[in-house]
Amino acid sequence: MSETPTVAVTDDERVKEMSAFRKALIRPELGGICGTIIVFTLFLLFAHDSGMFNSQGIMNWSVVSAQFMIIAVGACLLMIAGEFDLSVGSMIGFAGMMIAIFSVTLGWPVWMAILVTFALCIAIGALNGYIVVRTGLPSFIVTLALLFILRGFTIYLPQTIERKTIIGGVADAAQGDWLAALFGGKVLTGLFSWLGEAGLIETFERGTRAGQPVVDGIPMLIVWALGLVVFGHVLLTRTRFGNWIYASGGDAQAARYVGVPVNRVKILMFMFTAFCATVFATCQVMEFGSAGADRGLLKEFEAIIAVVIGGALLTGGYGSVIGAALGALIFGVVQQGLFFAGVESSLFRVFLGIILLFAVVLNTYIRRMITGER
Amino acid sequence: MKRKLTSLLMGAALAVVPVVSATLASAEGEKYVLVSHAPDSDSWWNTIKNGIALAGEQMGVEVEYRNPPTGDLADMARIIEQAAAAGPNGIITTLADFDVLQGPIKAAVDSGIDVIIMNTGTPEQAREVGALMYVGQPEYDAGLAAGMRAKDDGVTSFLCVNHAIQQPTVGERCRGFADGLGVDLGDSMLDSGTDPAEIKNKVLAYLSANPETDGILTLGPVSADPTIAALEENGMAGDLYFGTFDLGDEIVKGIKAGVIQWGIDQQPFLQAYLPVVILTNYHRYGVLPGNNINSGPGFVTADGLEMVEKFAGEYR
Amino acid sequence: MNPEHAPLIEMKNIEKHFGSVIALAGVSVEIYPGECHCLLGDNGAGKSTFIKTMSGVHRPTSGEILFEGRPMRFDDPRDAIEAGIATVYQDLAMIPLMSVSRNFFMGNEPLKKVGPLKFFDHALAAEVTMSEMRKMGINLRGPDQAVGTLSGGERQTVAIARAVHFGAKVLILDEPTSALGVRQTANVLATIDKVRKQGIAVVFITHNVRHALAVGDRFTVLNRGKTLGTAQRGQITPDELQDLMAGGQELVALEDSLGGTV
Repeated sequence: MSETPTVAVTDDERVKEMSAFRKALIRPELGGICGTIIVFTLFLLFAHDSGMFNSQGIMNWSVVSAQFMIIAVGACLLMIAGEFDLSVGSMIGFAGMMIAIFSVTLGWPVWMAILVTFALCIAIGALNGYIVVRTGLPSFIVTLALLFILRGFTIYLPQTIERKTIIGGVADAAQGDWLAALFGGKVLTGLFSWLGEAGLIETFERGTRAGQPVVDGIPMLIVWALGLVVFGHVLLTRTRFGNWIYASGGDAQAARYVGVPVNRVKILMFMFTAFCATVFATCQVMEFGSAGADRGLLKEFEAIIAVVIGGALLTGGYGSVIGAALGALIFGVVQQGLFFAGVESSLFRVFLGIILLFAVVLNTYIRRMITGER
Repeated sequence: MKRKLTSLLMGAALAVVPVVSATLASAEGEKYVLVSHAPDSDSWWNTIKNGIALAGEQMGVEVEYRNPPTGDLADMARIIEQAAAAGPNGIITTLADFDVLQGPIKAAVDSGIDVIIMNTGTPEQAREVGALMYVGQPEYDAGLAAGMRAKDDGVTSFLCVNHAIQQPTVGERCRGFADGLGVDLGDSMLDSGTDPAEIKNKVLAYLSANPETDGILTLGPVSADPTIAALEENGMAGDLYFGTFDLGDEIVKGIKAGVIQWGIDQQPFLQAYLPVVILTNYHRYGVLPGNNINSGPGFVTADGLEMVEKFAGEYR
Repeated sequence: MNPEHAPLIEMKNIEKHFGSVIALAGVSVEIYPGECHCLLGDNGAGKSTFIKTMSGVHRPTSGEILFEGRPMRFDDPRDAIEAGIATVYQDLAMIPLMSVSRNFFMGNEPLKKVGPLKFFDHALAAEVTMSEMRKMGINLRGPDQAVGTLSGGERQTVAIARAVHFGAKVLILDEPTSALGVRQTANVLATIDKVRKQGIAVVFITHNVRHALAVGDRFTVLNRGKTLGTAQRGQITPDELQDLMAGGQELVALEDSLGGTV
């Protein structure tokens, strides 16, 4: 705002000269799209014969990416609204443990355990948001407190009740439960068994499932991930509320002056993040049949990393759900792909660091271009 | 700007290429993957890495070590699925949580991959998931044996320093120990976390709050090393009855100095080395031992420490 | 000035205390439709407190505010906006990372019904934004151009156009020209003139006498939380106004020596 007239004039000319290439660059998804192409090209070159691209391999990295996507959508919308949630990982552990305690220890029907857990976790998300908007403290520190509190309960409760830190038997309890199938089931099983019979995908060679396809359906986890991505994208770009999310993160005060209910937007986004974490946890518990106190460790950072790779700004007000989904895809493909390519697993972090650094540098450049700051 | 961006992309691509191509230049022969449940921070698994590396070298096979970076068992399940998709000749894995891991392991077995369970899990569980065999130390039994030994030595109450509270199989050691002593586990299991300074202070706090404690059990070097430091600080070193699972440099020194009465060696080297050798011979000549193999417990005391000392943290 | 019109806003003897600090010590001002009322004062004179009281951010400690003849009590700025009092703040007018059309409709998004769901009507938003901007003399590359690429003057203009579009009766402008260059200032002043001619009351806060005289109908000078009186256009010279504001003949002298660029 303090530029001299001459700068303002050249600014105007610069804007008008903006090339199509630069125009394409300021889309937040661009980094994610480039990254996805690079990552797939590299792995197709170096790991094409490793099983990474057979049906089982594709399912493997798809499931891992879908997991990242579920929490990345929540983290993305929250970050665009200008806040962080570091309690996502602990929330995943906590939600899973609650479902297990309700259904196995207390013997509730699984659908009820799931619904009560969702209500409880979303309420904790609302509490997170309420504390942040009420106190005006950075969400970083408030949710860090929740990270410890929730993780503590996740270890303490099962230990006190069951004298162990993993509660199993959820799979048996969930047998035939209508709501459990929505999280742990698979869709398109008919199509896959047909593909198996037709010899188009690999089948088991031996054992009780000999002849059946190795991949026998699309897990609900992936359906949830895609559903949440579509929902998040439409909410953000096509609704009034989406505009409020951008405004709340872009400049909360300016948004308040024109009547955007910034506090409500932020609290709702904290609740949505908690919802996503609970979806993650429920899918995991239904798939594996047990809840453990160590589930979800460091997942909050993985979510934030996926969002940043996907082009969102850490400072809020800018980003895209599609970008975050691509970030999650890159993250999942790199993590699993390095195993396929036979890279020493400790080097995963090195790659992650390189990708993250690259993404952040690119994002800073994009923001400068948008705001015209030098 | 265009050039700047292109150079950044090139830089990233170049950074990836050498590492990937280097690892592709690997030996011919069978391929085996070992999947553990240990987080990156657990140094005890170094012996396992050395064990499979040595076996791979001696047998002329390709070996890989995989683990979930944070120790999250759900991530471990994905790694097993991934390993199965990559189609190795065999998978060697721990069975840290039966519920979580049985699905992926069964799927691997069904798709034609031979599996050996090592370290954690039980022979029964190994049979149930369709593994060829189990190589390891049954945790509860090892704890029970240690507890009975401590009871004979006159211990009446104890503190169990558990640095891996999220792994139920490790906790079984404490339960076995309590049953061996004939006392209730009650609150004597301490969730210590994995940070050395925290462990040390938690042990100090517990001992001053519970002065009647006359025995300590640690579950590995992660909890044993800070516990030794704690006892040296409050002057109870050598005074308390101190037993530990597993070995390491500090533990060996402690045994030598009389601070630690015994260390239970489950001989992890064997858990890594033997499955690779067994699988290779099975695939080459069709021979397979007829039973599970107990790699431990072996009690290591002040007598006969020489070899242990020499290879502690490397092969012991 | 049109005497038949009743004042839109009457502020009578407003006092505002912050603890022991007296920010406003009895200020009275009347704002009429279609006039540009300039509020002048040096830094610390109480201008900001005064407009925040008028726009509902602060509640006066004592005194009365009449809006369209009725006593006015706003609990938050949203109430004031709905009543027709819009404020454009100097640096908080726009969100740079968002597009012009998203900014323009921020808080008043047009909706389009698709079945039971309501969606942001981007097509309508884009159309309205482009036409409103054209009216104000800003040629956008497109409605999705980010506000960050606009100059400071253009941002102020967008904010003013937004307030007018959404039915403001009173437009409060907080130092809209203070950080702008000559050309952009001229654009903003021209915008103010257009708005006034639509019958909207403009409250123009500034400390620049030349800018005030360019568009102002009446001038109220604030000093140390008090009004030093209101003057009609043509009844006061720039020098007198400057003098009132700062009590500084030397400033006028300086202005002359600099060739009238202050």
